[in-house]
Amino acid sequence: MDIQLKRGLLDVCVLAAIKDEESYGYRIIKDLRSCIELSESTLYTILKRLEAAGLLTVRSTEHEGRLRKYYRITDAGIKRIGEFREEWKEVVSIYRFVTKEELSDD
Amino acid sequence: MTKQEFIDGLRNGLAGYPQEDIDGRLAFYSEMIDDRMEEGLGEEEAVEELGPVEKVVEQIVSELPLPRLVKAKIQEKIEPGRRPGAWLIVLLVLGAPLWIPLLLAAFAVVLAAYIVIWAVTVAFWALWIVFIACALAGIAAGILLAVQRKPVQGLLLISAGIVLAGLSIFTFFACSAATKGAAFLTKKMALGIKSKLRRKEAA
Repeated sequence: MDIQLKRGLLDVCVLAAIKDEESYGYRIIKDLRSCIELSESTLYTILKRLEAAGLLTVRSTEHEGRLRKYYRITDAGIKRIGEFREEWKEVVSIYRFVTKEELSDD
Repeated sequence: MTKQEFIDGLRNGLAGYPQEDIDGRLAFYSEMIDDRMEEGLGEEEAVEELGPVEKVVEQIVSELPLPRLVKAKIQEKIEPGRRPGAWLIVLLVLGAPLWIPLLLAAFAVVLAAYIVIWAVTVAFWALWIVFIACALAGIAAGILLAVQRKPVQGLLLISAGIVLAGLSIFTFFACSAATKGAAFLTKKMALGIKSKLRRKEAA
């Protein structure tokens, strides 16, 4: 898959995983397993990128005597998911156009 | 492998890279192992799920942007002596005739390697284009000849065109294989250059 496209998709996947309530690294990986297998290093890079872009915020809390980082989506993050849904309609119509072209070639 | 061994392995593998990146990653992996153990996995199992430490280091390095690595390297060289001493500046200026050409040469070598890798690919695609162009031209010329009452020559040209079209299909597969190979080599080379920026004594 095109690297830019994949990067955009993964960003939205991670945002969607924390959309309803804040979550932590391992839980995000587990929640996303049903749609995509994410390595820890990829997730870390995505979380950093989303934080820098202001799409999520991070807080460290004590959990079982150690620190755990929780990620919470921001309004900008929710807006990003909405934009993705709009953009995707465009992608779907392009997909339809491309596959129709192929069918008429046969 | 224990959690501590894994974290130490990561720290060693990333030595020389920006400290901020290392600390963040180490804390992240440590949390990942703890969370897995909390779910009931043993320490060894939890570490094993993350993959071999060398592989993880390689993944992290491939995700760190090159300019960031170079910047960290330059800062590391300057900072130990607090301020760049006068002798360092003098050395840099006096040594300029030596190190500038060397640096340029290093860039040229890297650039040349990229060009060589991609030249093969370009050559294959050029061959493919030539085959297709000749196939089309042959078939078109053949039809023209046939119409002008030279059916034997015409048919000969058309069949040559068809053979070339067939060859172009084979070349296409070679082209896509060459492109994939070149992309793979390009990636490997970037990784190789990045790992050269590691601190030597940490290895």
